[in-house]
Amino acid sequence: MAYTVPLGPYHPALEEPFKVNVQCEGEVIQTCRIDVGFSFRGIELLAQSRNWLEVITLIERVCGICSNTHAMTFCMACEQIAGIQVPRRAQYIRTIIAELERLHSHLLWAGIGAEDIGFHSLFMEIFTLREKIMDTLETVTGNRVNYGMNRIGGVLRDIENPKDFIASLESVAEVLHKVVIPAFIENPTARSRLTGIGPLSREKAIEWGVVGPVARASGLDMDVRKDHPYLAYADLGFKSIARTEGDVFARVVVRALEIAESVRLVIEGLHNLPEGPLCEQRGIPTMPAGEATMRTEAPRGECLYYVESQGGPTPARVKIRTPSFVNIPAVEPMVLGQQLADLSLIQASVDPCLSCTDR
Amino acid sequence: MEISNLVAWIKAIPGVTAADWHGGDLWVEAPALDVEAMGRAMITYGIRLGTVTGTPVSEDGETDIIYHYIAGECVFINVRTRTRNGALASLSAIARPASWAEREIKDLLGVTFPGHPDPRPLLRPSGFEDGMFRAPMSKSRQNPRQES
Repeated sequence: MAYTVPLGPYHPALEEPFKVNVQCEGEVIQTCRIDVGFSFRGIELLAQSRNWLEVITLIERVCGICSNTHAMTFCMACEQIAGIQVPRRAQYIRTIIAELERLHSHLLWAGIGAEDIGFHSLFMEIFTLREKIMDTLETVTGNRVNYGMNRIGGVLRDIENPKDFIASLESVAEVLHKVVIPAFIENPTARSRLTGIGPLSREKAIEWGVVGPVARASGLDMDVRKDHPYLAYADLGFKSIARTEGDVFARVVVRALEIAESVRLVIEGLHNLPEGPLCEQRGIPTMPAGEATMRTEAPRGECLYYVESQGGPTPARVKIRTPSFVNIPAVEPMVLGQQLADLSLIQASVDPCLSCTDR
Repeated sequence: MEISNLVAWIKAIPGVTAADWHGGDLWVEAPALDVEAMGRAMITYGIRLGTVTGTPVSEDGETDIIYHYIAGECVFINVRTRTRNGALASLSAIARPASWAEREIKDLLGVTFPGHPDPRPLLRPSGFEDGMFRAPMSKSRQNPRQES
């Protein structure tokens, strides 16, 4: 007899509240329904009542993990409307912060993933590494989350002694290559727990419109940093990571290898940080009338902004499409025909962010 | 599809009246757009839907809808149309990523999308009506806060 099992909205397997209702025959999932909206805050409406300076602080609160991505993407859209050229040093600093953010986001996910499969020692190892990244972010920006680095036209803070951070980052890279990546990719227990579950074929990935590591694990080699390079990515020689298996294991491998690539990008950026100003202008910017769409690669995938200015003191419209908004619906095709016991692991494999999704 | 041929091809979609490059992106005006014809044409050429933006024209009037497509992973195609009597044909049966976007626009701006396969509320909390942001969003667009 068929029965229904609700996962969430509040559950130890979920980082944030959402609900996955599955109907099962025996242990096999037959149908799936996803409900979101438990963290809805109306940020797009609030953005229309903040001036062009205040709105950056608001937008940065869309998410506690990829906060910099949101503030940065919004600023980049505004810069396109106003025709502002961001100085090279500011572009490098934005790139370094964006990759540090990706590092702590992926390491958070990897640690929780390790815990989900009962690999507690790996969880401790990963979170020790993550602390080094958080310490770096705190030293550079003054904050562990919501870094307040972006402004329209550049960045607010400099990285004064860039080479001071390189030794710590190289030690992170060493542990990554010697411990974390082999633990996920070569450890037979981890492999057997992750391989073949939660499949999403390349065709399904296109149909559902997924982005980021979820898409790249299904054979879609799409990454805004590669396809439409922005900031300093073209200078730093970014390499995208893709797999073809489309299962939870492939999503783990993609993120694990991306962690290593992000460390390399940060070290490269610190080594080659150009001299120059941090911003083109001071004070509250005057925005002309216009509109722009902007894409960046957030830790969870493509982040898309539409910003409209009517030439007034506040934005006329700010539309935010986060990567989780298109990745979470794809949990449905991933779980159909799968074992109920794998549900929590499969939903975790898309790295769902509900603060982003609900805004 | 060559990027250089994009404008001519887009203009052939029923309802499109203008298409111009601006800021490196293609902006398309289509007040009487055939939404389903556009959706099918985009799929034919492997152009994926990024999202859909809704903006109220006025508190009680129509809503501007922009379909944000991405061609070749490098060019935005922004197709702007307008609701007709508060409604617009759903794209969800043709392009799955439209489903949640249309449900959100229905929640916040009260636009109905006939043909949507699952028009349940997405973000709207219980106790609120469809279109809960329509009035405040229109008001702040027409009378933006002034700096003192």
